[in-house]
Amino acid sequence: MSDVTVRAEEVPTPQWLVTGELALCPCGCIGKRKKGSFVEKTLSGAVGVMRNAMFGEDVAQQHGFLQRVDPRVKIVAFLGLLIVTAFVRNIPTLVVLYAATVVLAIVSALPVGFFVKRVWLFIPIFTGIIVIPAMFSFITPGTIVLPLWHWNGSPVGITEQGLTSAGLLVMRVATSVSLVVLLTLTTPWTKLLAGLRALAVPRIFILIIGMAYRYIFLLLNSVTDMYTSRKARTVGNQRNDYKEGQRVVGATAGALFGKAHALSEEVHMAMVSRGYAGDAKSYAAFTVGAIDVLFVVGCVVAAALVLGGDRLLGV
Amino acid sequence: MAFDGVDSGAVAHPLGEDASSTSELAPGDPLFVVEGLRYAYLERFPALDDVDLEVRKGEKVALLGANGCGKSTLLKILDGLLFPDAGTFTAFGEQVTEDNLEDEQFAMGFRSRVGFIFQNSDAQVFSPTVREEIAFGPLQMGWPREKIDRRIGDVLRMLEIEPLAERAPFQLSGGEKKRVAIASVLVMNPEVLLFDEPTAALDPRTQAWLVELIIELNRAGKTIVMATHDLDILDAVADRCVVFSEDHRVAAEGSPATLLHDRELLLRVNLIHDHTHVHRLGNVEEAHEHEHDAAHHASQHV
Repeated sequence: MSDVTVRAEEVPTPQWLVTGELALCPCGCIGKRKKGSFVEKTLSGAVGVMRNAMFGEDVAQQHGFLQRVDPRVKIVAFLGLLIVTAFVRNIPTLVVLYAATVVLAIVSALPVGFFVKRVWLFIPIFTGIIVIPAMFSFITPGTIVLPLWHWNGSPVGITEQGLTSAGLLVMRVATSVSLVVLLTLTTPWTKLLAGLRALAVPRIFILIIGMAYRYIFLLLNSVTDMYTSRKARTVGNQRNDYKEGQRVVGATAGALFGKAHALSEEVHMAMVSRGYAGDAKSYAAFTVGAIDVLFVVGCVVAAALVLGGDRLLGV
Repeated sequence: MAFDGVDSGAVAHPLGEDASSTSELAPGDPLFVVEGLRYAYLERFPALDDVDLEVRKGEKVALLGANGCGKSTLLKILDGLLFPDAGTFTAFGEQVTEDNLEDEQFAMGFRSRVGFIFQNSDAQVFSPTVREEIAFGPLQMGWPREKIDRRIGDVLRMLEIEPLAERAPFQLSGGEKKRVAIASVLVMNPEVLLFDEPTAALDPRTQAWLVELIIELNRAGKTIVMATHDLDILDAVADRCVVFSEDHRVAAEGSPATLLHDRELLLRVNLIHDHTHVHRLGNVEEAHEHEHDAAHHASQHV
């Protein structure tokens, strides 16, 4: 018998295609368990970004206090509060300001646990690395509250001044990040962009950011699909195969670049087809209402109280 | 469908407002005339070779052909997105060239009269929300705000996508994105609608909805040009078919009934396989689901 099966129209089907392949032992006795590679972790992170963005849009659509404030007013007010935060020099004042952001999160129907976690999860990673050396006497000299070792007879350790500086920086970062998170979680992305446009940020800049945000999701899906299809065909332990991992990432990045380029050409054609001639026009229109005035007055009073109180507390 | 009564005028049709009223052409007059068209990508890979085509006002024309035969390229040329290497393309009596389209008035007129629904809805739905997507074209045309808002409301209702108005494109399904893409073009009330593989990757229900929509749009006076290889819907969505061969030329032209019976032609242009049989919708105006028993499939037919 020939090693190919011939169909009616004489197109040969290889014999191996019509017989089953030898599979691994189903009991798993010879298999090895492995943890996900860095590629897998990166992709699961990307999926997390998408999930977070979608959740963020849901929160921004709720009917809380900040969701009802005009995006332009919110952007200006929060920018002002960020500047005030930068000028505050006492930890108690910052604690009060931070508490105020939590209160605003509550009245804006944000899940408090999520809001607090979103801020404090990143602070030890980014700010901690910077502030830890500043707590020691060799960076910030002063009264040592926790001696750690001696150097040429003098104690080296954590100083009171160092702790104060670190606390001040951490609280300042936490309050600033909270303000930004409040703004982004209570304003749909589209309205945020429209608000920036209304505040005279160049139109083309807004258009590019808007489209980048929109296509990130599409390209993330492409990456996830590419990786899933590869994973579906991968067997065996590749835990330490970094070279293979790098090759996969390189190939994926190249393929993605090609896809993104083709997509950008098509998007441009779709825009030109509907009359785009290099000058995009914006649709959003806003009106300032009583709640906006109330919010601005509230922010100005809060800023004055914070700065006044901070001055009373002294440096 | 949302715009029953288009002909009778019983229900106000969003496209009826000034549908085709700007055109001085009568039904049957040539809208598009393509002569001796040649186009090659990177000047090396031919996509169209010596193509002649005429599209008359009020017609439904289907461009048929195997993958890569040049159908989509021709649609892009008909929409003034690509320009031929040789030959001419005349629309509404004026030659369409890159130079002409640099004239703002000419470009505005042409863009508002010709709408293109891309095969890849993801490329067409690029704005942050559905409402902004639909507003994009009218904004470029410089329409007043009230007119844009009214048109958006009408089109959202007509295509039954009102609940999606504030949604982001990445939150939409394939069928929903297709509806939004169509809405974003229909809102400008173009005279000619170019569809690139409109039923590709859509579920059967959405395909049937789309077929009905195309029929209704044609009844409302729109000229339809569509690239497709969905032979099952041809009878319903086309009055005339233009078949492209794999050497990027026009191989045949005729009514769907004539061409679908020419099995030898369809095999020659690689549009069907020896085992293909086509479920033609006939001259029905509403697509529907149906099932066949084994005996039906046992017979080979086109």
